Amino acid sequence: MSGVVVCGLSKSYGPVRALRGIDLVVEPGDFTVLLGPSGCGKSTLLNAIAGLDDIDAGTVAIGGVEVTQREPSERGIAMVFQSYALYPTMTVRRNLSFGLRVRSVPKAEIKRRVAWVSELLQIGGMLDRKPSQLSGGQRQRVAIGRALVQQAKVFLLDEPLSNLDAKLRTEMRVELKRLHHSLAATIIYVTHDQIEAMTLATRIAVMRAGRIEQYATPDVLYERPETLFVAGFVGSPGMNFLPGSIGRASVPVARIETDAIPLDGYPLCSSLNDGREIIFGIRPEHVSLANQETRGPVIEAQTLFIEPMGADTLAWFQHGSQRISARLPPQRAREISGKVRLALDISQVSLFDPATEQRL
Amino acid sequence: MVEGLVRACTGLNCGGVHVGFWNSVRILIPSVTLSVLAGALNGYALSHWRVPGADLILLALLLGAFIPYQVILYPLVKITSTIGIYSSLPGIITVHILFGLPVMTLLFRNFYAGLPVELVKAARVDGAGFWRIFVSVMLPLSVNILIVATILQTTGIWNDYLLGLIFAGRENQPMTVQLNAIATTSTGEIEYNVNMAAALLTALPPLLVYFASGRFFVRGITAGAVKG
Repeated sequence: MSGVVVCGLSKSYGPVRALRGIDLVVEPGDFTVLLGPSGCGKSTLLNAIAGLDDIDAGTVAIGGVEVTQREPSERGIAMVFQSYALYPTMTVRRNLSFGLRVRSVPKAEIKRRVAWVSELLQIGGMLDRKPSQLSGGQRQRVAIGRALVQQAKVFLLDEPLSNLDAKLRTEMRVELKRLHHSLAATIIYVTHDQIEAMTLATRIAVMRAGRIEQYATPDVLYERPETLFVAGFVGSPGMNFLPGSIGRASVPVARIETDAIPLDGYPLCSSLNDGREIIFGIRPEHVSLANQETRGPVIEAQTLFIEPMGADTLAWFQHGSQRISARLPPQRAREISGKVRLALDISQVSLFDPATEQRL
Repeated sequence: MVEGLVRACTGLNCGGVHVGFWNSVRILIPSVTLSVLAGALNGYALSHWRVPGADLILLALLLGAFIPYQVILYPLVKITSTIGIYSSLPGIITVHILFGLPVMTLLFRNFYAGLPVELVKAARVDGAGFWRIFVSVMLPLSVNILIVATILQTTGIWNDYLLGLIFAGRENQPMTVQLNAIATTSTGEIEYNVNMAAALLTALPPLLVYFASGRFFVRGITAGAVKG
């Protein structure tokens, strides 16, 4: 097992700076997800780690060996592509063994490894078919198999599930998780789908405009987002943002519209002056309907509409000029209308600086 | 027809067009094979590998595809005679390959540009190099376009008159040149039936090629045209 260390990686496409000084450490055995919107540089970063793209500056080390100048095939990696990129003219068996044949692995060993992979991924029945005769899910398995058969140190996956339908995607997600556990391999996985990221990753790197905004475990990323962008991007729907300012009563309070929300117990990184502009962030699941026993802060809002989602219901409210979403139990959400009182779970709040977009 | 093959006269020489036929075949096979393969290789390199100045090369090829033969006939005669292949089989083959390359390269480049880049990336991760990818991944995918290119080159080179007349030399004159000699000869009685047979025989190979492979031709032309 080996890790990946990326240092000061930069890459430009003409005037566009795709990667701006990326530093990333992937520990051996980690399942690291590179998450971000389209064009944030996550695929470029993966290609750079694979050695498929030339880079302008920086270094890549895999398994403690610097490989910046090496060919992709000399880096001890295997890769799965978004379009699968199976060789159309070869059968599944030849697709799986191509890399091994290129490297002149002995025939018996090739046979053994192909058998192992087809057992592991249950593709034994289709070894003599061409990729065009396979369904999307089967092609996906073959593509993963072609990577596994290399017995590489590091696996790079570039949006491998994005071409599958929703049900199959959920199945393959579980499958990937199982593979990661049983192989104990180091995996770097690119996706724009935060659910894939949250469910699969041991660590997530959220990227924007060629930079890593935050690199942390899924829990930390979700509960303590470092920047406004991470808070808004991770979670569906994203965090509610309410602009306000800091006021002071007996404890610091956040003034939002006409409400004053006490912030006692919030782990501030630095002390805040009165009147300082802030953005008050709270996730939909930490907003609930207030009742007699509610102790925390309560705000009043106008019901807009509700979106039933099965297990829970998203309710949207208008509070002053801002929209707030709340994740409510379906039974309670059905009854609401007009003006309601919303309770905020103050222990789960994030505050941001509107100018720097950093967590306060 | 057989009479045309063995008896048609060029001046006093009544050997038939079979001499020209075999000359044409000897010119055709190496010219077609080499120009198609070189075009495929160029197209692959230009579409999937970073070639320094690729844009300029493409522009030059595009211009090259439109250059009329007549413009560079004289320079080409000088060049080939300088390197000693003027008026010989290698000479005419070289000239055919040169004139075929621009169109062949563009045809293959457009075809390969339509193939997903990830295919080459996957092969590179698998450890294959430039040649291995070309032979194992790209060529097996190119059957249709190879057939189209072969048809284009075969008909073009078979029907060529001008280059054959100038560069092939007396010994290697292709069928078209000999046919002209037969048709314009003014010695003795003109046997129109024999001359007509010779003309038909000359036209036959390209016709056969079209009949045998029209299906591929249409498919390949559109494949090359729509993509890339």
